[in-house]
Amino acid sequence: MKILVLGGTGYIGPHLVSHAIARGHSVTLFNRGRTRPGLFPEAEQLLGDRNAPDGHAALAGRSWDVVFDLPTTNPQWVVNAAAVLKGNVAQYVYVSSTAAYKDFTRSFPDETHPTQDPAPLDGPDAASAPYGNKKVRCEQLVQAAFGSGATIVRPGLIVGPGDLTDRFTYWPVRIEKGGEILAPGQLDDPAQWIDVRDLTEWMVRLAEQRTGGVFNAVGPRTVCGIGELLYGIKACYANDAQFTWVPQAFLAAQKVRSWAEMPVWSYTGASTVAFCTSVIEKALAAGLTFRPLATTVRDAMTWYHARPAAEQERLRAGMSAEREREVLAAWHAQRRGGS
Amino acid sequence: MSLDRRAFLKTSAVLGGAAGLGLPVMARAFTADGVRPPASRPETGAAQPKPLRILILGGTGFIGPYQVQYALDRKHQVTLFNRGQTNKALFPNVPRLIGDRNTAGGHDALKRGTWDVVIDNPTRNPAWVRGAGEALKGRVGQYVFVSTISVFSDYSKPGMDEQGPLHTPGAPAVWASNDGANYGPNKVQCEIDATAQFGEDKVTIVRPGLIVGPGDLSDRFSYWPVRIDKGGEILAPGTPSDPVQYVDVHDLSEWIVRCGENHTLGTFNATGPKAPTNIAEMLYGIKAVTTSDARFTFVPAEFLREQQVRAWSEMPVWQPAMGPTLGFMQVNCQKAYAAGLTFRPLADTAKATLDWYKSRPAAEQEKARAGIAPEKEQAVLAAWHAKAGR
Repeated sequence: MKILVLGGTGYIGPHLVSHAIARGHSVTLFNRGRTRPGLFPEAEQLLGDRNAPDGHAALAGRSWDVVFDLPTTNPQWVVNAAAVLKGNVAQYVYVSSTAAYKDFTRSFPDETHPTQDPAPLDGPDAASAPYGNKKVRCEQLVQAAFGSGATIVRPGLIVGPGDLTDRFTYWPVRIEKGGEILAPGQLDDPAQWIDVRDLTEWMVRLAEQRTGGVFNAVGPRTVCGIGELLYGIKACYANDAQFTWVPQAFLAAQKVRSWAEMPVWSYTGASTVAFCTSVIEKALAAGLTFRPLATTVRDAMTWYHARPAAEQERLRAGMSAEREREVLAAWHAQRRGGS
Repeated sequence: MSLDRRAFLKTSAVLGGAAGLGLPVMARAFTADGVRPPASRPETGAAQPKPLRILILGGTGFIGPYQVQYALDRKHQVTLFNRGQTNKALFPNVPRLIGDRNTAGGHDALKRGTWDVVIDNPTRNPAWVRGAGEALKGRVGQYVFVSTISVFSDYSKPGMDEQGPLHTPGAPAVWASNDGANYGPNKVQCEIDATAQFGEDKVTIVRPGLIVGPGDLSDRFSYWPVRIDKGGEILAPGTPSDPVQYVDVHDLSEWIVRCGENHTLGTFNATGPKAPTNIAEMLYGIKAVTTSDARFTFVPAEFLREQQVRAWSEMPVWQPAMGPTLGFMQVNCQKAYAAGLTFRPLADTAKATLDWYKSRPAAEQEKARAGIAPEKEQAVLAAWHAKAGR
């Protein structure tokens, strides 16, 4: 296949591009040429700044079997890309987000769950519209332009090598350190994530099979609890890591922020629940598969340990060691006092 | 008492290696030339040790080949002593002394040669310890006897160390018995004879718990990786926080060789992991190396008992964390940890076990020796859901 990748040099892009190349597809990259230039010498490189008035000109007069639009949150980018590509590509795969859904406090949304109101295309509120609303507008623009050739992928938390958000990474890093670990809520509190390789390899398959439609894209395959995640990560280590499970009422009293301080976990009813309870039957039927968790953990940590020391020490998500100790100490003090 | 005492003794008696089951002992985890796929090894901190002359009694069963391979990798001179019947093609370049320890003069081949370390793997008959002791007298620097935590007579207390109460030593009339009830008592007598024969200043007694990993023909641990890999709803025993202990055959065997290198003497409980681990950690840890759709339904010990689900044999690596089995999976092994027993990650053990299991002939895979039958598992789950109303 002839594949056009918009972006392609960020987090998920390189995984998608290398898999597509390995599958024998011919790949063209379109981006500003600033992030990791020369990463894929075997791919054709087209340049353009999608914020510029004529930014998509390099795509004019060309045709591809499929285009992957990876980095887009600004609906205007879709408008401009579609203006050039409509009629010249058979399929447009747009990477949206679980954030497209309305009311995150509800469990188990499938793809028919109501979405946010689409962000305005222009006007004073266009730029400041929330992420989810922009994603919805982008989805609708792709669907309007490409019809049955539109494929909308809504991932949740994307994890693995290259993830600079450190949300998933917090847990293996913390568990690798060992000792007593603050674990949030209960074993069965829902947790979902998707390995960046599982996501991107599946997206390439969606293109190979010309699969259109809207898909939630998270894992693992079956309903999963935070206990399964943390215990699975622990299995990759042979240290003295010990989990202390602290109920959410106590965490709330300690003003512990779910998701940010306790990644991949949400308070019941919090606005991040939908990130962990998406129904994925449709994606499974369309061929989404999963690596073993241990593979994700080990590859993520190989990548993590290759990062500069300063980055390794300053994770962007999770709880500081001091704060964790304080919360644990408070928890043990209450347990002693209350029993 | 929450568990039939005799049933428990019968099941607990098989701890400590395939010898306790009277199994045909083979080590298909190893190929004929003794080469095995590389496995990760924990850092032991040891530089290249001084080469030792190591005599391994047995050495071709479950744990023996791991000792041999590790000792060879560390440049020791290894000699095997056995009947020459099990896994004959294994380690063709390792000298082998032949003898049948059940016959008169069966230890005669040991009457020549001197050894820095002798490792006695398969012995559950005190007469074998005496035979080896008499044949080797005065020519052994260290005798490592692989015993079992089944020597203990009471598992009701968590945290039991090496001073826990032992079975009454087996009487000579039962030494040759293969009945599981005599296993622990005979091992106690073996420990006594080891010290009597070789002297306290030369003896190491290693008491492993459940030894797991590639080559384990008892299928006890293997049940879980295999079952989890199969997927679907899985009957999980007790509560998620029930303690479990097990030791990877690599970790145990390699540490035993290091006990020789470091001249580590004394008696050691030897199981793991180092940090207290529960059944949920084990099951989810195993699941983490698969792509399975497995889901666990934890069913309380009381309900399992009502359904006549046997702990240990039908629900391997688990005993109710109460009453006479409260301490069964909470044995104190701090002494062994201090003496250098280290552990692989569970993910490595689970993956290696599953890969090995899948490499076995289909007929063997179907006749798994441990774990609940699939039909019974489904019936128990259905009964549990009916009772729980969900």
